[in-house]
Amino acid sequence: MKRRDFMLAAGATAGVFMMPRMSFGAEGIIDWYTSSDQNIMDFWTNVVKPKFEAANPGITINLVDGGDNAGLQSIAERALAALGSDADPQADFFEGFDARQPVGAIDEGLWVNFEEAGLSNYSKINPLALDIPQNMPYRGSQVLLAYDTTKLDPANAPKTWDDLIAWIKANPGQFIYNRPNKGGSGLNFVRRSVLEANGRDISKFTVDNATPENTEAMLPGAWEILNDIAPSLFDGGAYTSGNTQSLQLLGQSAVTMIPAWSDQALSAIEQGVLPETTGLVQLQDLGLPGGFSRLTINTNGVNNAAAMKLADFVLSEEIQSAVLTELGGFPGVSWEHVDPALRERFADIIPSSIPVFPSGDWERAISDGWYRTVAPNVDPNS
Amino acid sequence: MTIVAEGSTGTNENRGGPIGLLLVALPVFLVCWLVIWPIISAVMRTLWLTSETGEKRFSTETYQFFFSDPYSLSNLSLTLWTTCVCALLLLLVCLPIALYLRFSTSKVAAYVQGLAIFPMFVPSIILSFAFIRVLGPNGTVDLLLNAASLPKMRSPYLTPWGPVIGLVWDNIPLTVLILLAGLGSVSNQAIEAARDVGAGKLAVLWHIILPRIVNSILVAISFAVLGIFSAFTLPYILGPAAPELIGPFMQRTFRDLYDPINAITQAVITFGFCIVFGLFYVRSVAKNRAP
Repeated sequence: MKRRDFMLAAGATAGVFMMPRMSFGAEGIIDWYTSSDQNIMDFWTNVVKPKFEAANPGITINLVDGGDNAGLQSIAERALAALGSDADPQADFFEGFDARQPVGAIDEGLWVNFEEAGLSNYSKINPLALDIPQNMPYRGSQVLLAYDTTKLDPANAPKTWDDLIAWIKANPGQFIYNRPNKGGSGLNFVRRSVLEANGRDISKFTVDNATPENTEAMLPGAWEILNDIAPSLFDGGAYTSGNTQSLQLLGQSAVTMIPAWSDQALSAIEQGVLPETTGLVQLQDLGLPGGFSRLTINTNGVNNAAAMKLADFVLSEEIQSAVLTELGGFPGVSWEHVDPALRERFADIIPSSIPVFPSGDWERAISDGWYRTVAPNVDPNS
Repeated sequence: MTIVAEGSTGTNENRGGPIGLLLVALPVFLVCWLVIWPIISAVMRTLWLTSETGEKRFSTETYQFFFSDPYSLSNLSLTLWTTCVCALLLLLVCLPIALYLRFSTSKVAAYVQGLAIFPMFVPSIILSFAFIRVLGPNGTVDLLLNAASLPKMRSPYLTPWGPVIGLVWDNIPLTVLILLAGLGSVSNQAIEAARDVGAGKLAVLWHIILPRIVNSILVAISFAVLGIFSAFTLPYILGPAAPELIGPFMQRTFRDLYDPINAITQAVITFGFCIVFGLFYVRSVAKNRAP
């Protein structure tokens, strides 16, 4: 082919790809959205999608990164608006979402009730993980502390909140957490301080009690704790803008300790982003919050039946074992439904309880309060 | 010959005719629909607030809140500081490069030009993470300093200087190109004539070159300022948590605090500052066009 012809053909092909694609929900293509980080996206792209599509010819999954919780919320709002009309929500499956959002969606019947949906694998789910029947847990992870064992002997790693605060103050510049609206590791560190300021009682926080009176009474204590340690943080009170950036600073040996997601830290160690000398530790008085990531499925998706099949598939032993081996998370099903060899190997991270902090309005109050008082280091009482 | 000449004058006189207007109708319509209308609608939405009962009323309370809230004001002042420092640094960095490219006849100039345009092809998200690698704590620069047994530098990462360095680097190509285009109008004869009467290098720059490219400098600065004022990615990844630049602040107000009215208010205020520089640009373009 002559060069000119080639250029013309290449240009035309590129043009076709660049034309805005008509985005109607198509039959047989599950529109899937996630609020999670890249490692979860990779897990779905490399493990779940090929296995599911091989087992279910004719169905494909369109994996879309929805950004964060707020991103999925706007897609869920679109689905809610389409409910009861013929409008196509262009969404079938939400990964890492909470059916309590948008407010009122459950009452209007936006979300599938998994308890009544008759999934063959539903009974295998770990009872610790069950929440409301519209949220289907399928993988767990928890925020823990990742640290550099060459600078901190594992025997001296902090085991309680007070130890941690004492360590941060004794080692100025060696700890950093990310802004609470930009990633779960920093958010759950901030939430742990909120729990510390409220007698470590997680039951005080529910999804619908973030009233102005409650936030004003319950949050300033945490801001005091966080402002107190701010001068001892990296660079005298700097905060990274995401989970990944914190890992990068630990990897560059710029800090000694960060809060990190268990799954993200484990896969970072596996990929060499973090050195093998990285240690992981969880606080024993009350762990840093974490939780099970949940799936929600809207009832009005064009591919609802296929999406339900996918939800059932995700709970199969094959995928649940892959959550452990490929993702470094822990399974959403009870441990007797996981390969016994794996059960043996991962005995250390089998959790007995995980504090789960409600999202929604508390998240907003924490983000706003943190930016106004902790980030600029302002006295909350002034 | 006469007929042809008359014909061509005829077309010139027709420049403002209906066909010309028709040709610009589409872009004008798009600008009105996608730019002017959203601005009007944003101003209306922040001034005529809808109360909980659904009634509309005129109120400036969101603006009063912004201008009485120390947190918002410190974000605004950081944005203004960043914009001014960036504009100044851009001029200091880009003017010498543009002058060199205009007057150099060596082969190296082509490579310098390539290098100066290069940042245009680097997405800012990649730039940000590369920045952390190179200028961040224990990054490449620190490793080099360490190899030379020098003390570590104080990293600009997560300080207001982080976004400044990133934004300046990101805006070099556009600024250099505009200045270079302006320098094209400086004739070699004018410079030679000045040299003949004994003008030194600085005198040539001050009296011959600068007066001719003042317009280009204004255009380059307005373009850079418009981009920097509402920059998002670089300040978000490289800047401090607080105070934040207006771009990340707007996004956070809108998406994390679910507060569209205050986010729009911030947008209108941003627009108010940007329009000043927009007017600079429009003025200098209009001046060039005047017969």
